[in-house]
Order: sequence, then C-alpha cells, then structure tokens
Amino acid sequence: MIRGGMWRRRRTRQAAVAVCFLAPSLALFFLYRILPLFWNVALSVERWSPLRPTRWAGLYYYQDMLSSDTFWLTLENTMIFIASAIPAIALALVIALLVNSDLRGAAVYRTIFFLSYPLMSVAVAIIWQWMFEQKAGLINYVLLSLGVISQPIPFLGSFDWALPAVIIANTWQVLGFYMIILLAGLQNIPPHLYEAARIDGVPALARLWRITLPLLKPSIFLAAIIGILNSFSCFDLVYVMTHGGPGHATEILITYIYKAGFEESRFDYAAALTVVQFLVLMALTILANRAAGGNAGAVE
Amino acid sequence: MRRRTFAKGLLAASAGSALGMPMIARAASKTISILTWNIPDAADVVNGWIAAFQAVHPGTEVQWLDKKGPVLPAFYQTQLAAGTPPDIVDIQGGLSVEYAADGILLDLTPYLAKQPAVKARFNQDYLANWVYDSRNYMLPFYISKSLLFFNKQRFAAAGLSAPADTFDGLMTQAQKLGGSSNSGFLTLNFDWLYWPLYKVNGIDPFTPDLKRTAFDTDAMIALTDRLAKATTGGAIDPISWTGRWVEPLGAFASGRIGMLQAHSPAYYFIKGQAKWVNEDTLGVAQFPGYWAVPNSHGLGISKGSQNPELAWEFISFITDHAQAMKFATDRRVLTGNIGVDKALVALLEQQDPLGAAVLRTQVEHTDRMTGNWPLANYSRITNTFWSELQGALLGRRSAKDAIASANRQLTRILNES
Amino acid sequence: MIRGRRSVVLLRHLVLVLLSAAMLVPFYWVLKTSITDENIFAYPPHLLPTDPNLFSYVDVWYLIPFPRFLWNSVVVSLLAIAGNLVLNALAGYALTRNFPGQRFATLLLLSCMMIPFQATIIPAYLITAKLGLLNSYLGLALPLLSTIICIFVFKASFEAVPRSLVEAARIDGLGDLRILWRVMLPLSRAAIGTNVILAFTWSWNNFLWPLIITRTVSMQTLPLGLANFLSYMENTTSALYAFVVMVLAPGIAVFLMAQKEFIRGLTSGAAKG
Repeated sequence: MIRGGMWRRRRTRQAAVAVCFLAPSLALFFLYRILPLFWNVALSVERWSPLRPTRWAGLYYYQDMLSSDTFWLTLENTMIFIASAIPAIALALVIALLVNSDLRGAAVYRTIFFLSYPLMSVAVAIIWQWMFEQKAGLINYVLLSLGVISQPIPFLGSFDWALPAVIIANTWQVLGFYMIILLAGLQNIPPHLYEAARIDGVPALARLWRITLPLLKPSIFLAAIIGILNSFSCFDLVYVMTHGGPGHATEILITYIYKAGFEESRFDYAAALTVVQFLVLMALTILANRAAGGNAGAVE
Repeated sequence: MRRRTFAKGLLAASAGSALGMPMIARAASKTISILTWNIPDAADVVNGWIAAFQAVHPGTEVQWLDKKGPVLPAFYQTQLAAGTPPDIVDIQGGLSVEYAADGILLDLTPYLAKQPAVKARFNQDYLANWVYDSRNYMLPFYISKSLLFFNKQRFAAAGLSAPADTFDGLMTQAQKLGGSSNSGFLTLNFDWLYWPLYKVNGIDPFTPDLKRTAFDTDAMIALTDRLAKATTGGAIDPISWTGRWVEPLGAFASGRIGMLQAHSPAYYFIKGQAKWVNEDTLGVAQFPGYWAVPNSHGLGISKGSQNPELAWEFISFITDHAQAMKFATDRRVLTGNIGVDKALVALLEQQDPLGAAVLRTQVEHTDRMTGNWPLANYSRITNTFWSELQGALLGRRSAKDAIASANRQLTRILNES
Repeated sequence: MIRGRRSVVLLRHLVLVLLSAAMLVPFYWVLKTSITDENIFAYPPHLLPTDPNLFSYVDVWYLIPFPRFLWNSVVVSLLAIAGNLVLNALAGYALTRNFPGQRFATLLLLSCMMIPFQATIIPAYLITAKLGLLNSYLGLALPLLSTIICIFVFKASFEAVPRSLVEAARIDGLGDLRILWRVMLPLSRAAIGTNVILAFTWSWNNFLWPLIITRTVSMQTLPLGLANFLSYMENTTSALYAFVVMVLAPGIAVFLMAQKEFIRGLTSGAAKG
C-alpha cells in the first residue's frame, strides 16, 4: 500500500508541479487582474479627487449606486445582454454540429461563420449602424419592401429597439467565437462512442442527446462563461454604435463604468461599479459552475 | 523538470529584456510633449511647427502625440495617474473647464498678464470660454460655434427665402418644411448645442453664479412640450434628439431637411457627403437672436508639466499669426486669432465663397454665446441633464416629470461640489 | 461521423447556406464599400458595387505608415501566440491534476475573467510602467500573454485524453512536462488551433491597450492607424473599410491555417479512443 511518506511525497510533488505550471499565468493575472481589482476596491471606498487628498467614503458610492435609477436600468440591460447568450450559444451549437464533419465545403462554412469575429469592433459598429438606419438602412429597406412594416423603424434611436438591435449586432460578431469553442469541444469526443452507438442501432437524435451533449459539457460551460464575459467585452461595439443611448436604453455596466471614469472623472464611483459588476458576474459564474457540476464542467 | 523550467524562464527573461527596451526618448531637460485631439491629417502643419520652433529654440525637442477623441481622456487620465502628463494638451469643449476645476491645468493668467500682446491677438469672447474662477486656463486652438444651415431648394419649394429671425417664425417655417419624410429643422445635441432653442426664449439652466438650477419653470416645461409636439408632428426631426454627428449630418446631406443647427465643421462633412451642395443650394444664417453655442478646441498646459515655461513658449508660438495661418489654411478652420481669421475668410472668398460665408458666421456676434457655462462637473451635469430632457423631447415622458427629475439630480450634483 | 442519406445531406447544406447568407450580408457591405466610392448612407442602397476600384487599398497603404504598423502588430501577435501556447498549456495541464487547491485555482481563474480591461487601465499602466515596459513590444503583449478562456480550452482537451494513455506514460517514467509534450499536446490539436486563432485575434485587434501605452508613433499597432480614417469625426468612406479589410485579412489567414486541426480524420493514428 502506498502510504505514509512516499504517498505524501508524491502528493506534494504533484502539488508543486501544478503550482509551478500555473505560476507564470497566475503571475500575469495577479499583475493585470487581481491587483487592479484591489485597486478598484480600495478606490471605491474613498472620495478621490485630483486636488484634495483622498478621504474615506465608506459605502457612500455603493449607496449612491443603489439609489440611482440609471444603475438599475444598466443592470437590467446587462442581464438581458447576458440572457441573449443562450439562444446565441444554441444557434452556434447547431452550426458547430452541422459543420463538424466531412460535409463537402465544411471548411468554407466554418470560415464564413468565423469571419465576423476578427473584424474590428469599430467596423462592426458602423456597418450595423448603417444596417439599422432609419432612412437609408438595409433592414428597414428590406422590411419595407417585403411589406412587413409600413413605416421605417428608427432602431438605434428608439428606446425599445436599441438594445435588441445592439444585441443582434453583437451576436453576429461573436457567433463565430462560440462556434470554434464548441468545435474544439466536439473534437474531444472519442469517435468510437459514436461507432458503438451506431452499431447498437441508436438513432441520430439520441446519439446527440446521450453522447454529444453530455461530453460537450465543458465547452458549453465555457461558452456560457463567454456569454457572461460578453456583457463587457462588447464594450467597443456598444460604445461606438449607440454610446449607451438613447437615454440609457443600451447602457450596460461596462459603458456606465467607462463613462463614469473617463468621461466624468468620477473614478471612485466607477471603481464601486466595477466591484459590483465583478460580484454580480462572479455570482453568475459560480451558478454556472454549479450547474455544470463543478470543476468547470469537466466530465468525469 | 525543474531545470528545464528554470532554463526556459531564463531564456524568456533575456528575450524579454531585449524586447522590453523602452523606446521612450530619454526625458531631456528641454523636451516637451503635446497631445492633440484627433488631427492626424494635420501632420504636415504640426511637424512644420515643431521644426520652426526648434529653429528658434535650439536644443529643444517636441514630442507630438495624437489620440482619437473618445479615448483621449482615458489616455490623458492614465498619464496623469502615472505622473507623466503631456506638457501641452488640446481639449475640446467644456471638458477643459472640468479639468481646470480639478486642478489638472496650469493657470495661464500670469503668463497672459506678462505678455498682453499674446492675449490681445485673440477674440476675447472665445478666450473667455476657458475662464474658470476668473482665471484663464487655455488659449484658443481652433474655434467654432453653432450656426444655421439651410437647404435653399427646400425653402424655395415651400415658398420661403431664408430662415426667420424669431423663434416662432422659425417654428412656423419648420412646420411648413416638414412632411411625411422631410423635416423642417434638425439640430445637433451634444455639448449643449441645442440650447439656443431655449436661450432665445430667455431660459437659462443655471443661476448666474452656477450654484443652483433655474430651469424648473413653467416656461421650460411649456417650451419642451412645444418642441416635443413639433417633433412628433414632423417639423423637427427626431434625429435631433437621438443622433450624434454622422446621423444628423447624413440626414441633412440627403437633402430632406430644411434647416440644420450645427457648428462649422459640419460644413465640410456635409460637403463631402452631398453632391448637391453649392452656393445656390446651401445657405447659412444665424440662429434667431444670434444665439450660438461654441464648440472649440483649446490648448492648455498640464500642471504636472516639467517644462511649463517652454510649453508656454510653444503654445504662444503656434498661435501667433505666421504659424496659426498655416493651420488655418491647411484645415480651413478658424483659430481664434483675429488677424488669422480675417485673412482666412478673405482667402476663402475667392476659393470657396460658401465656406467663407460659413466661417464669417463664426466670428460674428461672438457676444451672444450660450451653452458655455464653466461648470466644474461639466460632463456629469451635461450628460445627466440631457438624458432626462431627451426623454421628454422624444415624447417618452412628460416634460414636467423629466424636468423635475433633472432638477433633483442636478441640484444634488451642484451641491456636492 | 454521420453518414446520412442524400436528403439529410441536402438539408444540412440548405440550412448552412441560409445561415451563411445571413452572416455574410454585413460583411459583403464592408467589402462592397471598400471597393467603391459610394456614400454608405446613399438611399436606396445599391446591391452591387458601382464602379469598383482598388484605389482605397492603395490609399490606405500610403496614408499611414502601414508597413511599420503591420510589423509592430505582427511582432506583438507572435509574442502573444507563443506566450499563450506555452503558458496556457502549462496552466491547463496543471488544472487537470488532482492536487489540493485545484478547485480553488479553477475558481480563482474564473474570477479573474470577470475583471474587464476598462476597469484596469490605470493600474495596468502603472504596473507596466514599473516594469519598465512602456512603449515596448513586450509591454504591448504582456497582458495578453495568457488568456483564461484558452487555459480552459486546453484543460477540457487534456481531460479528454484517455487515462490509460497517461497512466502508461507515467509507468514508463515520463515526467509531467514530457507527458504534456508527448502525450497531451499531440492529441489536442484542436485546442492548439483554437489557442492560436484566439490569441492572434485578440492581440491583433487590440486597440485600447496599445493606445494607452505607446508614446511614439513608431510603436503603434495597426488598429491605431484607424484614427486617420476616423478623424474629422467618423468618416464612412471606402478608405475606412479598405483599412478594416486589410486588418481582417491576416486574422482570416490564421484561421484558415489553424482550422485544419478541427477536422477529425477517421484515419488519425493514436487518436483518442
């Protein structure tokens, strides 16, 4: 029985190796993520001003935030944004399944679906601004021609349509990203399982349900995380497309943070918002992790 | 295994140090840096200035940084936090007052007092835009204020010749020019550019000491209601309240708008977008009451500058007649330097009479400027006020509620500072 | 591998074609505008390019120091790809090992993901300044040398390697590093491909960070050249779109090269399982 000294040595050696391997990445994240987070936490409880020395503010900014209508609207918009990831991931999954094969031209399809992701967000924003334009935009042109609507809709100028419009533009951009994550995950499924199932006469849909989806759990989990991250990595797109407007109809936490910090020079308030955003997203992530069975959805 | 990782680490470190050689020019005692707001197309002029300056001040170095508008504040703030702010900074609009109030900019009043000739070369009304707490913080770099562009063809079709010189007259005209797909009037809305609509009716948002709000009045509510109704009725285009720059100007360029209130840079944008623009089809006029909102760029010196004297030398150098003239003729903009602006307008009379007409409106009636209050919390107040008012103008909420809400929030902000 | 009947295959093609068409429309417009001189807001929209020419592309090349910016972007992206492959593989492998603190490390990394860049601009700048890496290639690449999503991609891929193979290697006396190199990575080509594609895309398109830390024009990366076309407040000319297409091209090239790894050949030798 491997016990005592030898076993413990092996365990500590394992831990040492793991820590060694993680060290460089963790160092990087410590510098560029964790330290800045602490900086934000510290700033959020101070009254910062370039002229006067910083004073203790306690929970002042947090209270400010919770009593601000804009904040709640922003939070709601952010949640809607995140929720929109669900249909997006579902669509990406369908696409990934369709192109993951020796279907003729699969490579072409894969490229087409991925094409939008490396496109600079600024360009995506401008193109979609045009597509949603009230007078000269393509979407109104098509809808009017087809008789679906009788009056053009001012998508990006409308308090009701702006957020869906931005979400559509964003989904178009990140679909390819979801797709390659799911594709990479599909490669992890051993083909012999399919072979065995086919020999056993299991129909295609059941194969999908019983084999593919469960084994795709880590990738779906990752896609869900990306969906959560998307609520702030879409910053460039939203900022250029609508700047958070009209009113605050497309204001999401990250644009609100950026504007508070770099447009209104309220770094303390922005820091408090950052902390709150972090906590909210962390909560969602932990929920997702739980739902995926812990360990980032790893399949046992 | 450990040896391998260690060796790898060593290799990476040495490679890293080679790649990590900072390429920042060693900060000589005679180096200054200037940060401009999105003028990469003026590279020739700026480099010419630097060369000319170095000829007059041998041994100095001038570093030119240019950053795109929306991210310039982020860049500048980061540099400030790091203690290495650019010596000279070009800021647009009211943000400069905010920075001045924050103590980020150097007080230029003593410099101007020592060199009254420099002070006298500028249009004093424009220069006053950068006064906070009775102190000057910036020199004009390039200036503009709002004016009225009008589509002569649309006017002719409606039986009109030129924009009215009263507010009611203007609204009536807008009604006439409006239609199913056309609109009579359109305005830009950022940085208070829409305020002449209110000012001409005698409404001011703040008390003269800028300590309290003054807009929670029946007059304000009534006017907002009127504008909202005009918007739904087709006289005023809703893009006035929802657009930023490209959309409103694009709409005017498409030819379906009767009048546009915008500042002079709009002229070049529209001209680039619309083939129909020429002297016979585009007219320029002043807004009723000659009210206009300035939207200018100024040059200031960072308080944290290591070489404030040299920085001052540079900005007084480039705003002097000879140098500023190059900028004015290259970019067809007014600089706030009285002599230069006169010369530019005269030059344009031959080359581009319409452009000359546009620029002439910029230097006329400079005593009737509004929307340029030196607010310490400029961005926050402007954004908060606008997001409330916009809802009312678009008919989303009642003017009464919007204005009450804006009043509450603005009062809080004003009390905080 | 679903070897369906003809109708199923046709159906798949149909769905894919429809979806592809929808995806391509905006992109087509980018391309079209880049080869014509049209005002994008012209109404009604023209479906076909009128009077196509490549002048915009030539303009872009000469208007900004394109080759210099291109070189900078290439260097930074190569650094990012190299860093990502090494660091992420190591970290991903570590996360598959069962050691005390593994769950904590996983959660830690997940939480690090939730910190957006915009909230870290100032501290990141200060830290980079302290390291003496401002305005340098390494400084430009440093925040991107490892990305957590890609760590998890590797983790998922390594976990799919059959235990038996790993056990066999261990019995043969191979150390962890060798296991990673000899056993795991060869079976994780898709993960490697994904890492390359994503690391490249993120570093290539990175706009805000290079803007903040470059102080000389000669160190700017390609996206920063964008300012030239967006000067005078948001231009919508063909030059902008030509620029955008030129920035996009390498990303697509990298994708095309790396996406071969996504094809699971039936004939792949010691494939998983």
